[in-house]
Amino acid sequence: MNILLLLFAGFILGPAFLILALNFTRHNRVLRKRVELLITTFLISCACIAIFTTVGIVLSVLFESIRFFQAVPITDFLFGLEWSPQTAIRSDQVGSSGAFGAVPLFAGTFLITIIAMIIAVPLGLMSAIYLSEYATPMVRAFAKPLLEILAGIPTVVYGFFAALTVAPMIRRTADSLGFDVSSESALAAGVVMGIMILPFVSSLSDDVINSVPQAMRDGSYGLGATRSETIRKVILPAALPGIVGSFLLAVSRAIGETMIVVMAAGLAANLTANPFESVTTVTVQIVTLLVGDQEFDSPKTLAAFALGLVLFVITLILNVIALRVVRKYKEQYE
Amino acid sequence: MSTSRQLVQKTLGKRYARERRFRWYGALSILVGILFLGFLLVTTVSNGYKAFVQTYVQIDVDLSAAQFGGEITPESIAAANFDGIIKDSLRNAFPEVSGRTDRRALYGLVSNGAQYDLREMLLEDPSLAGGVTPVWLLADDEVDVFMKGRIDRNEPEANRRLKDNAIGWIDQWVDEGRVEKRFNEPFFTNGDSREPEQAGIFGAIMGSFFTIAVCMLLAFPIGVAAAIYLQEFAPKNRITDIIEVNINNLAAVPSIIFGLLGLAIFLNAFGLPRSVPLVGGMVLSLMTLPTIIISSRAALAAVPPSIREAALGVGASPIQTVLHHVLPLAMPGMLTGSIIGLAQALGETAPLLVIGMVAFIVDVPTSPLDPGTALPVQIYLWSDSPERAFVERTSAAIMVLLMFLVAINGFIVLLRKKLERRW
Repeated sequence: MNILLLLFAGFILGPAFLILALNFTRHNRVLRKRVELLITTFLISCACIAIFTTVGIVLSVLFESIRFFQAVPITDFLFGLEWSPQTAIRSDQVGSSGAFGAVPLFAGTFLITIIAMIIAVPLGLMSAIYLSEYATPMVRAFAKPLLEILAGIPTVVYGFFAALTVAPMIRRTADSLGFDVSSESALAAGVVMGIMILPFVSSLSDDVINSVPQAMRDGSYGLGATRSETIRKVILPAALPGIVGSFLLAVSRAIGETMIVVMAAGLAANLTANPFESVTTVTVQIVTLLVGDQEFDSPKTLAAFALGLVLFVITLILNVIALRVVRKYKEQYE
Repeated sequence: MSTSRQLVQKTLGKRYARERRFRWYGALSILVGILFLGFLLVTTVSNGYKAFVQTYVQIDVDLSAAQFGGEITPESIAAANFDGIIKDSLRNAFPEVSGRTDRRALYGLVSNGAQYDLREMLLEDPSLAGGVTPVWLLADDEVDVFMKGRIDRNEPEANRRLKDNAIGWIDQWVDEGRVEKRFNEPFFTNGDSREPEQAGIFGAIMGSFFTIAVCMLLAFPIGVAAAIYLQEFAPKNRITDIIEVNINNLAAVPSIIFGLLGLAIFLNAFGLPRSVPLVGGMVLSLMTLPTIIISSRAALAAVPPSIREAALGVGASPIQTVLHHVLPLAMPGMLTGSIIGLAQALGETAPLLVIGMVAFIVDVPTSPLDPGTALPVQIYLWSDSPERAFVERTSAAIMVLLMFLVAINGFIVLLRKKLERRW
C-alpha cells in the first residue's frame, strides 16, 4: 500500500521536480547533464508502462488460466458443449465439478457479432460512401458530427436502451406476427450493437475512401462512368484492403463489447443459431462469474480468466491483422 | 449513328436509375443512424424527465410536547420515535381506516425515509414542535409513480401495486391540495438506496469524480512523457517499433480485459481493497493511456521542426528544447487528446464491474479510498431493479451522464478553437 502511494507520488510529483531541477541547474553543465539523464530515464520508463501493461495482461490472464486448466482439461473447455459453471461454487458440494464447455458461449458471441455486423457493415459503408463522395459540405458538416455522437454514447446507455426499448419492441412485433421470441433475444442485443459500431465502421471507411487518389476517380469519370459506377468498380476495389481492415477492427470491438450484451442478452448458454432465442456471450459470462462475492481459487472464478484469455487472443489476432492491413494499404497510396 | 453509341444510349436510363438508387441507399444509411440517435435520446428523455420532480404529501403531524417525553430539547427530538409520530398522524388523517393490512397500506403512502427528514427538520427548527403542524413529507415511490400518471387506475386492482383504497386516500389528499410535486433535490444529494424515492446519484457522481481524478493524475503525466520519448528521443529501432505496435494494439483491447488485469494484479497481487475508486482509476488510466499517447504524439508531430532547430541553434540541449519550446506548443493538442480519453473513461463500465465497484453503497465516498461506485455503474445497477420508479431514475441518471459528456465535448471544441494553432 505504502509502496503504491510512493509510486503515485513519483509519477505525479516526479515530472514537476525534474522540470524545476532542470531550471536550477541550467548554469551548471555537469549537474544539468545529470538531471537530463534522470529526465530521459523517466521518459523511457513511462514509455515502457505500455509494454508492462501488455505483459501484465498476458501474465495475469495466462497464470489464472493455467490454474483453471489444471482443474478442467483445456479440451473440455474449448470443445465442450455444456456450460453451467454456477454449480461449482463450493468444492464439497454435490456435482461440484460444474460444466465448463465454452462452445455455447463462442457460438453466442459469434451469433451476436454476425447480427451486429449485418447491421453495421452495409449502413456504415454506405454512410461513409455518401459522406465522402456525395454529401455537400453542409450535409457533411451536419451529419458527420451526429454520427460521431453515436460513437460517444457510453455503452451502458445502449445496453439500457436495448433491454428496455428495443427488446420489448422486437418481442411485440414478433408476437403480432405469430412468432415466439425470447425477451432477451440475440437480435435485440445484436441490432443495438450494430448501431453502436456503425460510426466506427463509417469513420474508418471514410478515412480509407478519402485516401484513394483523386486521379483514379477522374480517370473513371473521364471514361464516362457514373459516380456510383466509379465507386463500385474503381474506388471500392482500390480501397478494399483498408475497408476489410476496418471491418476486422469492428468485429474485434463487437466481440469485446460487454455492457450491451450484459444488459440485453441472456445468461442461459443455449447452443443455437436462432436469433430470436436467448444466447449468452463470453463477456457476459466473465462479468457474471466475477460480480459478487467470490472465492478466488474456485474454478468458477478462474474460468472467467480462461474466457478472458480466449477473448484477448482472438481480439489481438484481429487487431494485429487489421492494423497491418490498414497500414500497408495507406502506404500504398502515400 | 454508331452501334456503341446506341448501346450507351439504350442503357443510360437504367444506369442513371441505378445511380439514383445508390445515392438513396447512402442517404438512407445516414438517416437510419441519425434516426436511431434521435429515438434513443427521445425515449431516454421521455422516460427520465419526470424523475427531476418528486411527489411530496402534506400531513398534519402531531408534534405536541407529549411526543417528546414532555419536554422539547434537541436531545429529546433526537431520541423521539418519528416513525410512530408519522404513523399516528396518518391514522388521525384517516380515522376510518382499520385492520392491519389497510393500516399498513396507509403507512406505505409515505416514504420510510420521511422520519429522518422530519427529525432533521425539527433539529434545524425546534419551533415547529409544540402542536399539530402541517409538514410536507416525501411520498412513497408508488405514490410518486401514480401521481406522474404511470399507473392506470382503470386497470384491474390485482395488477396494480397501488390498491383502490390507497388511490382513494391519494385522491382525497389531492382534493385538499395536500399533494405537490417539487424539484427532486434528494436525487442530486443522496447516495444509493433500495427505496427509489430516496435513491440519488450524488454518491455515484463523487465516485466517478474520484475515479476520473486518479485516472487523469496517472494517465496524463505518464502518457505525455511516453509520447515525448517516443516522438522526440526514441531511436528508430526494433524495440521502439515493438512499443509502437504494442500501444496501437493496446488501444483496441476490449475494456473488460483491463478489468481482469486490475482484478489479478491490483486486487490479488497487491492486495488493494475492492470497490474503491483508487483501483478503478488505476485500471481506467491503463485503459486511457494509449489514447493519450497517440494523440500527444500527433500533437508533438504537428510542431514544426524549425522551432526545434532554432532552440538547438542557440545552444539549448535536446531536453531543454523539448521541455521549454516544443512541449508548450504541443500542450493544447495534448490536453484535447487527454480530455477525449477522460470522456471515454467517464462512460466506461465493464472494467469497474470486474473490480467490484458494483456493490450497493449508500454512503457518499469522501476519498478515493472509500468504497464507491461510478455513474455508469449506478445506471447498470438501477437498470436491474424491478421497481417502476427506478426506470425513471435510470433514465434521469443517463441524462446526467450524457450532460457531463456534452459539457466535456463542448469544452474540447472550445479548447480547440481557442488554443490550437495552425502552422
